[in-house]
Amino acid sequence: MRIRKARHASAFLALGALTLSAACSSGGGGGTGTGGGEGKQATVQNFGIGTAADSKGPAPEVPGAAKGGTAYDLDQAGFDYLDPGQQYVSDQLSVQLLYNRSLTGYKIDAKTGKTILVGDLATDTGKSSDGAKTWTYTLKDGLKFEDGSPVTSKDVKYGIERLFADYQTQGPQYIQKWLYGADYRKAYTGPYEGKEIPADKIDTPDDKTIVFHFQEAHADAPYAAAMPNISPVPKAKDDKQKYNNHPVATGPYKIASYKPGKELVFERNTNWDPKTDPIRNAYPDSWNFQLGIAEPGLTNRLAAEDGNDKYAVNLSGSSDPSKMQTLTTDAQYKSRTVNQYQPYVEVININTKRITDPKIRQAIMYAFPMTQVQQAFGGGAQGELGTTLLSPTVAGWKKYDPFGKLDKPTGDIEKAKELLKEAGVTGKIKLSYAYANTPRWQNVSLTLEKALEKAGFDVQRKAIDPTSYYTVVGKLDTPYDIYRTGWGADWPSASTVVPPTMDGRNLADGTNNYSFLNDEHVNSEIDRILAVTDIKKQNDEWRTLSEYVLKNDTSQIPFIFDKYFNIHGSGLGGVTYNEVYGTINPNTIFVKQ
Amino acid sequence: MLRFLVRRVLGALVILLLISAITYFLFFFLPSDPALLSCGKNCSPQNVALIRKNLGLDLPIWTQYWHFMVGIFAGRDMPIGHCPAPCFGYSFADQQLVWDTIADRYPTTLSLAIGGATVFLCVGVGLGLVSAWQQGRAFDRIASGVSLVGNSVQIYFLGPIAIGLFASSWHVLDRGHDPDWSHDPWGSVQGLILPCMVLSVIFWSNYSRQTRSLMVEQMSEDHIRAARAKGMSSRYVFLRYALRGAAASIITIFGIDLSAVLGGAIITEVTFGLHGLGLLSVQAVLRSDLPLEMAVMLIGATIIVVCNIVVDAAYALIDPRIRLS
Repeated sequence: MRIRKARHASAFLALGALTLSAACSSGGGGGTGTGGGEGKQATVQNFGIGTAADSKGPAPEVPGAAKGGTAYDLDQAGFDYLDPGQQYVSDQLSVQLLYNRSLTGYKIDAKTGKTILVGDLATDTGKSSDGAKTWTYTLKDGLKFEDGSPVTSKDVKYGIERLFADYQTQGPQYIQKWLYGADYRKAYTGPYEGKEIPADKIDTPDDKTIVFHFQEAHADAPYAAAMPNISPVPKAKDDKQKYNNHPVATGPYKIASYKPGKELVFERNTNWDPKTDPIRNAYPDSWNFQLGIAEPGLTNRLAAEDGNDKYAVNLSGSSDPSKMQTLTTDAQYKSRTVNQYQPYVEVININTKRITDPKIRQAIMYAFPMTQVQQAFGGGAQGELGTTLLSPTVAGWKKYDPFGKLDKPTGDIEKAKELLKEAGVTGKIKLSYAYANTPRWQNVSLTLEKALEKAGFDVQRKAIDPTSYYTVVGKLDTPYDIYRTGWGADWPSASTVVPPTMDGRNLADGTNNYSFLNDEHVNSEIDRILAVTDIKKQNDEWRTLSEYVLKNDTSQIPFIFDKYFNIHGSGLGGVTYNEVYGTINPNTIFVKQ
Repeated sequence: MLRFLVRRVLGALVILLLISAITYFLFFFLPSDPALLSCGKNCSPQNVALIRKNLGLDLPIWTQYWHFMVGIFAGRDMPIGHCPAPCFGYSFADQQLVWDTIADRYPTTLSLAIGGATVFLCVGVGLGLVSAWQQGRAFDRIASGVSLVGNSVQIYFLGPIAIGLFASSWHVLDRGHDPDWSHDPWGSVQGLILPCMVLSVIFWSNYSRQTRSLMVEQMSEDHIRAARAKGMSSRYVFLRYALRGAAASIITIFGIDLSAVLGGAIITEVTFGLHGLGLLSVQAVLRSDLPLEMAVMLIGATIIVVCNIVVDAAYALIDPRIRLS
């Protein structure tokens, strides 16, 4: 589950700034789009699981690459968290690849973009036993921290133990919950009072081996092991919250200097051995992150590429929407653009506690004007028409369009009217519509209002301050009928999409089931599918369940598959894309000599 | 003068206390919940409650305010660690010590404000003086036209054009960067030239028009005619008597404009990507970062209040008719 960082910063966008944000729901922000041309055709990766051979270093050479130079990153925000334990959002996920290594990681082929999961610190993606309840990882030889001390399985275990401390509130919580259950903090409070996680939960029989004993089967444990927080932390260097400013590197770079919100400079970590690393090429000698560069100035700088901007990229932020027209139509930028899927699906949530008749929900679905909304959203380069609740970046994704939206992308008003009649609606039916008060969502709201009014709805639009948008629509007693949210998978499996957004048990303020769907069939299916140990079969089952929800519950109307669009300096080569994170992949980048 | 200063300083302290209280309590009337904003992807009720506790938001508002105000003068111990005085706490958003962030950012804003004010005072007042001297002639008419145009443009419009022309196309000026006075003073000057020029434009045009108008008005006063009748040269009378008469008004306007300069600095910083207090304040508000909001608000208010006291005191020095008591 991931929400874009825009949850925090969406209003900043409204000032003519940001597109960035955290993983889980794509934010409430965004500038106004001018349409623009269609972007490059995005590709869908298959996200297979690699073998032990795939997990061996060094990473395959990138054609034409050379070592040396400084690569620059221009970033609209700063990094709230450099502590891998607290990292979850897209910009943090991308930057941590430079200095942090997890048990597993994503290996991206620089030529084809094919993405597979391989062992990073571990020799492979893990060996399961006990019906996928137990997972064993063996660390590679030659792994060291930046100070030269060896990385052991006990350092990995300690890194996980500190995730239980009270101050660790930001990072993923999968492993913690899989070990102890949802109330994991009550069972174990972290290592700072001298207690360790017992061996029947996490065992380290020797310095190379770490064994996880989960309460339930978890076929997708190898993916969870790729999250930044499943990484080693040296106990002697851990000063709790303050570790955030000086995480100890295991990757190819270490922090040379850091001015929060202004500048972050990485230099080579001489204790990183490329032979142990199948993922990172680490061509530049250093990385210089310039933080807090407001839009549209940031996009202008990348386009103009004056001075060092020639070697600059924006790892996680998309181009300012106001520049889309120029960047997508002017041929001079074509060779410098990246336009790929992000893991987010934009949906209109229908509050099922307020609109209880599925026929009315389907009427909204049929009336929804996808093409017009796409234009208001920023055009094809920023988002592709989407008709599934899962993103194409999820393994096992297939096209599915039960309401024929792609055949009638401008909306089927007549069908909507027919359904309302069947539902016994006479006259106009009131529909309260909340939207984040930013240029992008203002435009979208006007477009949607127009179409729904034609179908027979009396739309009451309500602008919500972007900083409180998710708070307002996430309340169980929210007074709104429809509102937009966005969601993306944490890894290429729908196990991080379907349960958090569709499980109706334990509904509460602030959870991520924004439609408040509570369908017993869905709830029981979630439990059944979670127990499936064959990951491929599980992926297919998730897809089938999401299709059921779309067709029968229609609690969400998917309309856009978000896409990353940005340009980079012509002085950089090997610019590949990480579809799992929805960011540029820094591992293959090199500075043209 | 001393009684005046004591009275004004005491009044300023009351004003700052009121500002701090209003800002602090207004924050809690907003619908935005910083704990929810900070919970990212883990918004379970338990996690939100934990974050609220970590941020100290689980305490009564009055207690929170009291702790905050005490911390400014005495420092305080917080969950992250000790926060020495002047303690504004740790940022809700990135957990950095707020005072460290302020200390890191204020040189940029101060440099920009001083540089911009220097430029607009020199250019604006200078142009106004020459225009008044050349009243009715070509220079006066051209200067009035240019001032009118300058008064109409905005920083966010002029800034990108200036960057495009001077930095990207002609490569004659730096596109603007944060100053680093201790390590690279000349580079700091270069990095501030364009931002200061742009910031000053909206002000100098106004000062030019005001100065011209005040000087023309002064030149028609009886004491000026009397001085001329005594045989003093036009230039001497213009600079010695008329300018002195106009100066008090110009200083008054400058005092009022101080807050506008800081406001202009915010937009200039965003336009040029400078990391100053202006950009910081925008980020603090948009992220519901209460400690940072409070620090920026109080420091900004303190600067404006102090500058106004200084301006008031300056009246007495310039105009002997004014007596401060």
